[in-house]
Amino acid sequence: MVLRIRLARFGNKHNPFYNIVVAQARSARGAKPLEVIGTYNPIPKRPTNLYNENANARPYKEVALDRSRAQYWLGVGAQPSDPVWKLLGMGGLVVPKPTTFHKA
Amino acid sequence: MPPRVQTGRVSNTLLPYLTTTSSSTTSSLPSSSSQCLRQFSATTASQTKLRRQMFEWLSTAGAGLKHHVPGETNYLTRLKQGGHDDSNRPFPNNPNFISESILSEGLREEIYKRVVTQKQSLRAVSVELGIDMKRIAAVVRLVELEKRQRSQGKPLALPYARAIHEMVPVTPLADKGERQQYHESINDLPAHPLTGTQIFYPVPESRSFNRVEAGRVFSGAPALTHEEAAEIHHPYDLAQKVIEDPKSIGWVGKGEKARQILQPADVRIPHPHMIGLERDRIAHPNERHTVQHRHAERLARQESLEQEARQRAQARRDASQTTVSPTDSRFDYRIQDTKFTKETTGANGRAPWAVGRRYGVPHNDRTRGTVKIPTRVDA
Repeated sequence: MVLRIRLARFGNKHNPFYNIVVAQARSARGAKPLEVIGTYNPIPKRPTNLYNENANARPYKEVALDRSRAQYWLGVGAQPSDPVWKLLGMGGLVVPKPTTFHKA
Repeated sequence: MPPRVQTGRVSNTLLPYLTTTSSSTTSSLPSSSSQCLRQFSATTASQTKLRRQMFEWLSTAGAGLKHHVPGETNYLTRLKQGGHDDSNRPFPNNPNFISESILSEGLREEIYKRVVTQKQSLRAVSVELGIDMKRIAAVVRLVELEKRQRSQGKPLALPYARAIHEMVPVTPLADKGERQQYHESINDLPAHPLTGTQIFYPVPESRSFNRVEAGRVFSGAPALTHEEAAEIHHPYDLAQKVIEDPKSIGWVGKGEKARQILQPADVRIPHPHMIGLERDRIAHPNERHTVQHRHAERLARQESLEQEARQRAQARRDASQTTVSPTDSRFDYRIQDTKFTKETTGANGRAPWAVGRRYGVPHNDRTRGTVKIPTRVDA
């Protein structure tokens, strides 16, 4: 069976929060996974500092990731889902997928 | 029964009373408007005794309070006692309530100038101007906010601020060469919850027992050994040690109940170096310059230590976190390194301090019997 690195949704209505998990591909989203290797909070946060140097800072999204475990699971053939591929790509663990659109 | 719908005419009945200046209009108004006021009642509505007294007072004794004098408070106590200095006591029956003064515009600008432009430390500015360090930090933030609002062209409530500054006591900025008036006491310490208990603790007569040891008793820590106790000649020595190495404060308890040993007030006050200054002054009354020099040195030393600690903490955060700014996204992504091991998530993977949401563990707000309000505040 295929192992997948995917997101498992937690949090309440309108307040999503994801665990990055390693799980069997056919198992339910909320089922207990093999392992939790990180978290992803898709609600952007604003830098709270009022000082001028941060006035134009962009809002940020928080990702927590156990790199060594992610590398191990990728090494044994776990397949990241598209959203996780995007996050792992930003972390430098996989080659980012080419986008399907190109800006003119 | 028809509904008792009030007509629109009654809505502003109180307004003429409050704006009126002569008592003749107040007495004439109710009689003219009584019909529309109480349509359902046959009897004419008369004012209650208290209302009549209120309007009498407003037109006689209270008339003096209608307009304030800039720079003076406009409190009720002004009418009651002429002789006493009650200018900052607003409530005649509560002489214990004193309205504290606020910072003047000039003082506010001075704080901002010293902290942001001249890069002085909060601690030094606090000691020089006699303002609490938390207030200094708040003033800097708020002035920063005001400047940004001005630059964005947002409206400011300036007439309101001006009126308030005229009506309440204000701490002014001292002129050049004059001594700055202290705004508040800067070394205040909140009562620690641990000290609220009564403890009967027998101590042998041969043993010294001062506030350092009392703190240990309050937190249930073992007593100091004789060698350790002999090193501390004065609790201020301990304060210096803690400034040099904040981790030298011991801990008691295990797990979530672990807490630091209660330190004497000499350590916990915001400006422990002022004790050193006072002790120096008493020991060397004739060497003012030397004392001041040593004081400045101590301040600089503490400042540099705190700066180093801040930098170390920032470096630690930066080392474990990478920020990615994709060009095709509106957002940055902060990727924090974590370790999901038995130690970090607990033996069954569900420890309450573990990163992420855990499986099979109900969220706190749905757990039965969970107290949702905080039951203790760490001081």
